[in-house]
Amino acid sequence: MQRVFKLPFPPRRALFLLIPAAIALLAACTPDNAQSTFGTAGPIAEDQANLFKFIFWIAAIVFVFVEAAVIYVSIRFRRKSDNDKLPHQTHGNDRLEITWTILPVVILAIIAVPTLIGIWEQQHGVPDDQGDVLAVEAIGHQWWFEFRYPDHEVVTANELHIPVGRPVAFKLESQDVIHSFWVPKIAGKVDMVPLNDNYMWFIADEPGVYYGQCAEFCGLAHALMRFRVIAHEEADFLAWIDGMHTAPDAPAAGSAEESGKNLFAANCSSCHTVDSTTPGSYAREVSAQEARWNGWLSDIENAPIVSAPNLTHFGERLTIGAGLKDLNQEILEDWIADPATVKVGTRMQDHAAVYQTSDGTANLSAQEVSDIATYLLSLKPGSGDNTSTPPAGGGDVDGAAVFATNCASCHSTGTDDIVGPGLGGIADRAGSRVGGQDAETYLRESIIDPGAFVVDGFPPVMPGWGQLGDDQIDALVDYLMTLN
Amino acid sequence: MTTKSLTFPRVFPRPKSSTGIWSWIGTVDHKRIGTMYGITSFIWFIVGGIEALLMRMQLSSAENTLIGPDAYNQLFTMHGTTMVFLVVMPLSAAFFNWLIPLQIGARDVAFPRMNAMSFWIFLFGSLLLNASWVTGNAPNGGWFGYAPNSGATFNPGMGMTYWVVGLNILGVASIAAGLNFIVTIINMRAPGMSMFKLPVFTWMTLITSVLIVLAMPVLAVAGIQLQTDRLYGTHFFNSLGGGDPVMWQHIFWLFGHPEVYILILPAMGIVSEVLPTFARKPLFGYPFVIFAGAVIAFMGWFVWSHHMFTVGLGPAANTAFSVSTMLIAVPTGVKIFNWLGTLWGGNIRFNTAMLFSVSFIAMFTIGGLSGVMHASPPTDAQQQDTYFVVAHFHYVLFGGALLGIFSGIYFWWPKFTGWFLNEKLGKLNWFLMLIGMNLQFGPMHWLGMDGMPRRIYTYAENMGWEGSNLAATIGGFILALGVLVFIINFFVSRAQRVEAPADPWDGRTLEWATSSPPPPWDFDEIPQVEYRDDFWFKKHPETIAEYYHDDHDAVPSGAQLDDEEETPVVSGGADDHGHSTPHLPDMSYYPFILSLGAAIFGIGFLTHWGVIIAGAPIFIWGLLGWSMEPVNDPE
Repeated sequence: MQRVFKLPFPPRRALFLLIPAAIALLAACTPDNAQSTFGTAGPIAEDQANLFKFIFWIAAIVFVFVEAAVIYVSIRFRRKSDNDKLPHQTHGNDRLEITWTILPVVILAIIAVPTLIGIWEQQHGVPDDQGDVLAVEAIGHQWWFEFRYPDHEVVTANELHIPVGRPVAFKLESQDVIHSFWVPKIAGKVDMVPLNDNYMWFIADEPGVYYGQCAEFCGLAHALMRFRVIAHEEADFLAWIDGMHTAPDAPAAGSAEESGKNLFAANCSSCHTVDSTTPGSYAREVSAQEARWNGWLSDIENAPIVSAPNLTHFGERLTIGAGLKDLNQEILEDWIADPATVKVGTRMQDHAAVYQTSDGTANLSAQEVSDIATYLLSLKPGSGDNTSTPPAGGGDVDGAAVFATNCASCHSTGTDDIVGPGLGGIADRAGSRVGGQDAETYLRESIIDPGAFVVDGFPPVMPGWGQLGDDQIDALVDYLMTLN
Repeated sequence: MTTKSLTFPRVFPRPKSSTGIWSWIGTVDHKRIGTMYGITSFIWFIVGGIEALLMRMQLSSAENTLIGPDAYNQLFTMHGTTMVFLVVMPLSAAFFNWLIPLQIGARDVAFPRMNAMSFWIFLFGSLLLNASWVTGNAPNGGWFGYAPNSGATFNPGMGMTYWVVGLNILGVASIAAGLNFIVTIINMRAPGMSMFKLPVFTWMTLITSVLIVLAMPVLAVAGIQLQTDRLYGTHFFNSLGGGDPVMWQHIFWLFGHPEVYILILPAMGIVSEVLPTFARKPLFGYPFVIFAGAVIAFMGWFVWSHHMFTVGLGPAANTAFSVSTMLIAVPTGVKIFNWLGTLWGGNIRFNTAMLFSVSFIAMFTIGGLSGVMHASPPTDAQQQDTYFVVAHFHYVLFGGALLGIFSGIYFWWPKFTGWFLNEKLGKLNWFLMLIGMNLQFGPMHWLGMDGMPRRIYTYAENMGWEGSNLAATIGGFILALGVLVFIINFFVSRAQRVEAPADPWDGRTLEWATSSPPPPWDFDEIPQVEYRDDFWFKKHPETIAEYYHDDHDAVPSGAQLDDEEETPVVSGGADDHGHSTPHLPDMSYYPFILSLGAAIFGIGFLTHWGVIIAGAPIFIWGLLGWSMEPVNDPE
C-alpha cells in the first residue's frame, strides 16, 4: 500500500475517502429534516425509500468496483520514469465484452423486479384491503393549494387534514399551470396538470404535521408554494370535520372582531369564503371558485376577482401564505396591509379593489387592518349554539345582514361598481329589466340563477345563491327592494 | 465548363485576404470556423458559469435576498439554455470542425460555405437569445419551457418569445452542421479508410450528427407551435383553450432525451482518443465501443418519458419507459468497461489531457448510477424535480461532457495552435475543477433526498438544507477558479509559446500526420489508409501483427479487400494525390449575409413585422448570391 502515497496526483486518494464519506452521509441523511425522504411516515414513502436503498447499495457496489478499477489501473499501469516502451497492443476480448454486457443486464433485471412491483402497487389505485378511503380533491393554484373533501362537503386551503391509518385517495387538478403535489415523508410526488386530472393515494402512519411543497416549476412564487399535512387519529379527524361544519361564535357587538367582520365582508369576501359552515356552502364554494377563476381569465389585467383560498376557521391554521410562515397577529397584519412584504406574486394584491392604491398597500387604516386580522384569528368552530347559520323558519332574518355577509364584496348599495353593478336604486330598475316579471321575481331569479340575466359589461361570474334558502332569499329581496 | 453559369451582381468583391476581420467573416476554412465556434462558445461558457454562480450565491443561505424570484427564474432558464445550446453543443461543434477533416484525411468539410453559415447562424442566434438580458426580458420559463407556464397567459412578457425564436434559429445551425458532417464523414474519407477504420471520435461525431439531424426538427416543431401559441393565439399547448400541456412535454423530451446523447457522445469520442494515446495501446474493443455508441443513440429515442414519470401517464407507460431507460445503461456500461480495458496493461502517461479523461470515467460513472436510480419510477417519485436530479445531470454534463471537452482542449491544443498549454497550470486547472465539481454537485444528491425541490429561489431556515447548499456554493467557486486558471494558462502559455511538433503525443490518428497547426489545405499529400489508427501503426509497424492477431473485424485492408468502392473522392480532385498545390474553395461573404438576414428575420418576431420584411431581402440576397457564386472564381 506504500504505493498509494507515491501517487503523482494526490486527489485520487480523496476518491478513496469519498466512498466512506458518501455512505456515512447517506446513513446520516437526516431523516429528522422536514422533507427528508428517509424520515418516512407512511407505507408508500417507506416502500419508495426502501427501493431507493436497495438500488443504492447495488449502485454502491458497482461504484466501488468501477472507481477502484480506475484507481487501480491508474496506479498499477502508470508510466514509471520516462520509459516509453510499448505495452501489449491488444485489440480487445470478446469474452470480456459478452461478460460486461450480460452482467449489467442481470443487475438491471434485479432492480427492475421490485421497480415494476412498486409501480403497479403505488400507481394503480387504492388496493381494496386498505380500509375506508377518504376522497380528497387537491387543486393547484398559482401559488397555493386548495383541498376539497367532497364526501364531507368541506373546503380548506394549504393545510390538509387527514386521518392516520386509512388511505387518502386524491384527485389532483390544476386550474392554471402544472404543479406537483408532494409530501416527501408520506409519498412521492404526482403532478397537477390542467385538463389532465391525476390520481394518487397514500396512508399516513403517525399523527403529526408533515411538510409538503410544490415540486414542478410553476412561475414566480414556485419556491413559496408550500403546504402542510396534518394527520390526526381517526376520532380527532372526525372532530375536525365536525368543526368545519360548526359556525364560529358571533362577535360581540362593538368588538374588534365585529369591525373586522364588516371590513372583511366589504373588502375581502368576494374572493375569500369564510362561512363554509352552512348547508349547501360546499356546492356554492365550488361554483364560486370557478366563477372567480373565469372572472380573472375574462380580464387578466384588471379583473377584480381571482381564485382564492377558503378561509373558513382561519384561526385554526398553523401557517400563512401557503405554508410560508407561522400564523400570528403580527404577520397577518403585515399580510393584509401589504402582501408583497410576506410573499411575492399574490394575485390578491394585483386585483382586489382594496389594493388599488399608488403603492399597492391596502386602502385601510392600521386599526382596520388589525381588526380584520383579529377577526380572522377569531374564526374557529364556535360553541355550536350561537351560530351564523340561518335561523330555521320565521320571518325574522335580517336582509341587510345577509347582504353584508354574502353580497357586499361584489355589490355596493350605492352606484359604485365593484365586481358586479352597484345596487342603489335596484328596486326601481328591477321591475323593468325583463318583460312580464315584477321586481321581486326578477331579483329572486337573479339571485338563484344569475347567469340568466348578466348585465352588459360585467363578467358572467356570479355564482347561484340558491343555497341561501328561501328565508334568507326572501329577506334579501325585501332588503334590496328598500334600495331606491 | 461548357455552360455559362448564372451570376448574381456582386456588391462587395469576393474576399481574398488571409488576415484581418474580413478574412474571418469570409472564411470557409473548417479550422478557422472551428476556432470561431470554440471562442464563441467559451465566452458563453463564462456567461453561463456566472449565471450559475449567481444562483449558488443566492442559495448559499436560507431566506437569502440577494436575487429575487423573477431574476432567479431568468438565471436558471438561461443557465440551462446557454450550457446546452450555446456551450456543450457548439464546443463539440468546434471539435467536429477542427478534427473531422483532419481525422479522415480530407481538405475540408463537404459543404464549406454551409459550414460557415452554421457558425454565423449559431452566433446570431446566441446573440439574440442573450440580447434578452440587455432588454430586460430574459426568458423565465425554464430551459424545458413547460406549457402552459411558458404560454402567453401565464408568461406574458417577451422572455419566452426570445427563447423560442432563439432556439429555432439555433436549430437551423445545428441541422445544417449535422448534415454537413454526415456527408463529410461518409463521402470524404481518405483512400482506404473504410468505416471500421474511422477514428472513434469521428464515429461519435457521425452518430451525434445523425441524432442532431433527427432531433432538432422535433424541437423546431415544438418551438414553432409554442411560438404560434404565444404570438397568434393558437392552442397547441394552451390548456385554457383546450390544448394539451402534456403534449409539449412529449414533444420536448422526444427531442430532449436524444439531446442528452448529442451532448455526451462527442465527449465519449474525445475520451476514446485520449485514453489510447496516453496508455500507448489501442482502444480496447473498438467495434464494441462504436456499436455501444450507436445503440445508445438508437435507444435514446425510446426513453423520453422517464422525464415524465410523475406526469400521470399511468403504470403501463411508466413500466415501459422504466425498462427501456434501465436498458440504456447497458451500452453505457460497455463503454466504461472498454475504457478501463484500454487502460489495463497500458504504459499510462498522466498529463492534463489524460487526467481529465480518466476523471471523465470516474465522474460519468456516478452520473450513470444515479441515472439508474431514477429510472425506477417509485424511486423517481421522490427524486423528480429535486436537487438529486440536478446532481445527476451535472455529473453527466459537467463530469461527463465538459471534463471530456477539457481533455480534448488540452489534447489537441498543440495541433490547433502549434504551441503547448502549460502542464503545471493544466494540472491545477484539472485539480480545482474536479474538487470543485464534487463539492458543488455531490451534496446536491442528499439535498434532493432531503426534499429540496429544483428551481426554488429560496428555502426556509428550518429545512436543514443550509450546510449542503453552502458547501455546493463553495464548490461552485472552486470550480470557477479552475476555469480562471484555464484562462490564465492560455495567456501564460501563449507568452511562453513552447512550440509543438506535428506529433507531440505519439498520436494515433491522421491529424497528427500533418503540421501543427495544419496548413490551410490540411495535408500536403492525402494519406493512404491501411489500418485502423493508421498513423500509429505506420510509426510502429512492429505492433501491427500484435493488434490484428486473430481480430477478424479488422484485418488490414491491403489491396485485396473491396474497400475501394467505399473509398470516396478526395476533395480537390485526382491531382491531389500528388504534391501539387491543393485546390481549396474560395472565401465567400454570402453565408454571413444569409445568416444576418435570418437573424433580422427572427428579430422581427420579437419586435415588429416590418423587421421581418427588412430581413427577408438580406436573406434572399445571401441565398441567391451564394447559389450563383462559383466555388472558385476563374483566376
